[in-house]
Amino acid sequence: MNIKRILIANRGEIAVRIMRTARLMNIETVAVRTAVEPNAMYLASADIIFDNTEDVSEIPVFLDIEKLIAIALKTKADAVHPGYGFLAENAYFAQKCLDNKINFIGPAPDAIYKMGNKTIARKIALSGGIPMAMGSEGNISDEEEAVKVAEKIGYPVIIKAASGGGGRGMRIVRKSEEMEKMFIIASKEAEKAFNDASVFIEKYIENPKHIEFQILGDKHGNVIHLGERECSIQRKHQKLLEEAPSSALDDKLRKKMGAVAVQIARAVSYHSAGTVEFLLDSEKNFYFMEMNTRIQVEHPVTEIITGIDLIEQQIRIANGEKLKYSQEDIKLRGWAIECRINAEDVQAGFAPDPGKIESLNMPADPCVRVDTGVQAGSSIVASYDSMIAKLIVRGKDRKEALKHTKMALDKVWIKGTKTTLPFFRMLVRHQKFQDGNFTTAFIEKDLEKYYFNSEYEEMLAAWLATKLFVEENLSDNSKNIDFEHGKEMSPWLLNKRINQF
Amino acid sequence: MTNDKTQIKKLYALSSENKKFSFTIPLKNTIRIGKRNYEVKLKSDEKYGTYILWKNRKFPVEIVRSRQNKYEILFNDISYTFTVETPFSLQRMKVLNSKKGKVEQEFVRAPMPGKIIDVLVREGATVTRGEPLVILEAMKMQNEILSPVSGVVTKVAARANTNVMKDDLLVEIKL
Repeated sequence: MNIKRILIANRGEIAVRIMRTARLMNIETVAVRTAVEPNAMYLASADIIFDNTEDVSEIPVFLDIEKLIAIALKTKADAVHPGYGFLAENAYFAQKCLDNKINFIGPAPDAIYKMGNKTIARKIALSGGIPMAMGSEGNISDEEEAVKVAEKIGYPVIIKAASGGGGRGMRIVRKSEEMEKMFIIASKEAEKAFNDASVFIEKYIENPKHIEFQILGDKHGNVIHLGERECSIQRKHQKLLEEAPSSALDDKLRKKMGAVAVQIARAVSYHSAGTVEFLLDSEKNFYFMEMNTRIQVEHPVTEIITGIDLIEQQIRIANGEKLKYSQEDIKLRGWAIECRINAEDVQAGFAPDPGKIESLNMPADPCVRVDTGVQAGSSIVASYDSMIAKLIVRGKDRKEALKHTKMALDKVWIKGTKTTLPFFRMLVRHQKFQDGNFTTAFIEKDLEKYYFNSEYEEMLAAWLATKLFVEENLSDNSKNIDFEHGKEMSPWLLNKRINQF
Repeated sequence: MTNDKTQIKKLYALSSENKKFSFTIPLKNTIRIGKRNYEVKLKSDEKYGTYILWKNRKFPVEIVRSRQNKYEILFNDISYTFTVETPFSLQRMKVLNSKKGKVEQEFVRAPMPGKIIDVLVREGATVTRGEPLVILEAMKMQNEILSPVSGVVTKVAARANTNVMKDDLLVEIKL
């Protein structure tokens, strides 16, 4: 192994995740301490901490290419792992690493650039005869052209940012009257998010499933896929729950889609881990959507059903090693489900609810894996994403995985912020979800209520409110409640304490 | 509030959806379901913080806010808002409610802290329900703040490229 020390150009759970594998491989890691979260949990996993707390610039260090290169050089890191988000899909950053003789743990800058630019990616797919949703041939320059192109394709259409990803800069347009306004919003959003206002238009496929294939390629031209993940449970293009495999695919379709995914990766001489995303319509036609040239948030579900550590593979590939698996070696075993537990208020339309995590208890069970970057006392800060933890649960089949997920969800205990837990508790009880009968429109169309509460929960809350009222208004001195174990504390005191906080 | 506290025999917790839960006073630590009484315990410890123990299961609880007789409670990750009323105040509320007129002014507030990216309406503009008013960026997501009502914009407090806190006024609309 030539890689001896990796700079983790990221934070949170993915930084922890990368360092866990690096440690197993006896590779040192460097993490960056920031002023925003100087006591973050990921720092504890690092061998070397670079202190960047004096840097108070508005741009997070994880987006500052020059700074990261300087840190890598200063700490003598011979490789950089970008994680996901931030600079993970920035071709210039990858190139800068290579220019400074730092190994970039990811694909070549050229592959990042080509797949990152959706217009170029579409052209590549088109020339390879890969099925795609009909769309504009290139970028759309103004509202007038947008209206014209959309008329040709037929509504509904979707406007997408050429440099986009993660749902930003995307707008669905159903009639031509809406086009002008939506076009302006989409290109403004694209400009803001990606520094590139260019957008293109595609036929919008109603109610598809989101199916993506995990790709592994080495620097010697070998490319394989590790099966699919289904990520149809999403809201505003933000994934909430992912599973592998998908109940919508049989072996035949898996083979067909997998071959196309490999073909796309080969077209850009892809090496490292990557993901090819498809939409699958109700007739089982599939359409290439985009390729993500990085490790994905939802990579653990693939790791569980294949038994392959994807971070390890990324490091080995970056190191120049040949893949030790051929396509025939890849066997999918069992079922895995990942719930993204975010600090979001499900009752307020999934609005972010940043704050301090007062307590955090996750189930310790052989069928549960928890990837997290926070612990009790950590804060979910508004400047980063709202993820608290990924709850990853396995079972021998989908039914068992669901059963285990339902049990695990009841064992997760998080206090301090509101979370997406009530949403998942509802989801695992929903008949259509249990039947695998759901599409990307599920949350919008099939749900009347976004959360689950069991019988009597509201009544118990009412009892507590009444108890507080009694303590505050009807008793002369706040009487303590009957505590058998634990510290004595009246809800009245608790209330005071919260007001101070 | 009555002067004679001991006179109160019953309290009502009214939910925001107008569900009424009645409790006899003095408040017992048991709740009757069907023919059985079940014990409710409010507890607290280092590991779990405050919780309610009910039928051998722990539920996390938190008092998010309390103002006068209004309580927002987080129970098992779900918020509930109650007003606790005595038989007298409940009666008075009923009378007041029957006299109260309709709301004429809608205040659209920021649902979360973030940055205003764009303001899509001006004072005097007519808006319809569901029309986007403001684009608010929070935690890397752009959110359209939609008009909850149809009416005329009387005030635009939101300014592009400024930061807002949760519940800051964005737009006022006259119905």
